[in-house]
Amino acid sequence: MSTAAERAEQLALISRLQATYPEVPEWPMPDQMTHDHFLAYMKTPQDVGGELDVPATYENKEEEQWELMTYVLCEVLGMRGIWVSEERRRIGNVDVGRAVYLGIPYYARWLWSVGRLLLEKGYLSWGELTERLAEVQGRYAGGLAGRLPDAQPKSEGDGSNVRRNAHHLEAAGIGDPQIFAGKAGSAKFKAGDRVRVRELPALFYTRTPEYVRGAEGVIAEVTYESPAPEDETWDRPEAAPEWFYIVRFKQCELWHSYTGPMIDTLQTEIPERWLEAAR
Amino acid sequence: MSEHHHDHDHDHDHDRTVKPMVNEITDFEVLEIALRELCIEKGLFTAADHRLFTEFAEQIGPTPAARLVARAWLDPEFKHLALTDPLAASKQVGVDWLDPTGFGTPSDFAAFKILENTPTIHHVIVCALCSCYPRPILGNSPEWYRTPNYRRRIVRWPRQVLSEFGLVLPDNVEVRVEDSNQKHRFMVMPLRPRGTDGWTEEQLAEIITRDCLIGVALPTPGVTTNVITKTRPAIRGIAH
Repeated sequence: MSTAAERAEQLALISRLQATYPEVPEWPMPDQMTHDHFLAYMKTPQDVGGELDVPATYENKEEEQWELMTYVLCEVLGMRGIWVSEERRRIGNVDVGRAVYLGIPYYARWLWSVGRLLLEKGYLSWGELTERLAEVQGRYAGGLAGRLPDAQPKSEGDGSNVRRNAHHLEAAGIGDPQIFAGKAGSAKFKAGDRVRVRELPALFYTRTPEYVRGAEGVIAEVTYESPAPEDETWDRPEAAPEWFYIVRFKQCELWHSYTGPMIDTLQTEIPERWLEAAR
Repeated sequence: MSEHHHDHDHDHDHDRTVKPMVNEITDFEVLEIALRELCIEKGLFTAADHRLFTEFAEQIGPTPAARLVARAWLDPEFKHLALTDPLAASKQVGVDWLDPTGFGTPSDFAAFKILENTPTIHHVIVCALCSCYPRPILGNSPEWYRTPNYRRRIVRWPRQVLSEFGLVLPDNVEVRVEDSNQKHRFMVMPLRPRGTDGWTEEQLAEIITRDCLIGVALPTPGVTTNVITKTRPAIRGIAH
């Protein structure tokens, strides 16, 4: 039971959580929105490479039991064909938005993605989830009293009518990406080719980092065939596989005023749709 | 775990200086339990599936990766295998990348590549987009590897970040950052250091720390621990 004063205190706390540029009024009119700011708001927040930051103390962390259980939960859902991991990466790393991305723990976002997935794909209703959350809270109301929190399923569903992807069966004994071998036709580029990363107006999801878009590099290796993450993330089993390439960039060309020697390089893997020939 | 009572006769300043006994279930535990129960009840997976994957997750760690590199240092044929067919080489140190599902772990796939350091090239790995890491052979990634701070900076200021790990490389060694953001998972094969002549595979494996395999450290005789040792304790750590 919360009091009116407690509710006011929580509202004051939320009022301090900033999610916009301070120099622009919140809820901007269309004429107050610049193209650069639009790109910044639309950038997938997991794509942090090259953003400004200062040295910080790096530390290890003991893993919480719920963190291990969360990792297992996500992987078992993949093992049994409820999703592929690329669906998790979008939901938990991008769809959350910048404030949640930076504001809650790493595995809390994995967990968030499971709830979202099950609701969006119709495996659960909001009522089922919400009532169960309240029930679990109620079980431990008044403290743990020496108990370790754990799941107590009331039954075990037989699962025969559950909608599952074909991938988890087709790839068994073969592997992913091996299952897609021979399905992309001939590769457009070969090792040594100069390529430029296209500057596509990528909304909602991508795994081609912003910091390489528009940059020129060299194909270091033609790697494997697979559907692009931009298709896998929305569970499109009909999506055609394409070739992937490891592209090598010179750091001194990639970054304005790179501070290291000219010989330094960076490599990253990019699907064919993102590459075009460069001279 | 004993109950924490609010005893008003207690010295409150003292209460605030000791680590509180956390007795309340956390929001994350509630959510994980609710989701797992509902998944099992609806038959999305079984409790046995969950146990199988938990057992897999509890046994992964950096030991096979260190053994793989130590063996490659001693056996040129095995080194050739490691660089040309890393999945086959992994099997020889007990790691089958198709485990435990038959198609690999859903998040790690079955595309593994070992990056060979040379006297003129030093590799370091990152996933600037999330935390892609060769889990089946190296275990779970350390917390710092997942942080936005490491991911933001290592791609753009690699030498500065490496120097924070105590690794300063000469200007005639190319630093090659491998941003592993698709299905490939990468691991560094460092150079065998001087002062290890006549060492056994076991002795060599001891100095091939996880950090050496990420590329933020070099194997050094006498050094068997990672660079970052500061560890934040869990509220309720993994129960064994």
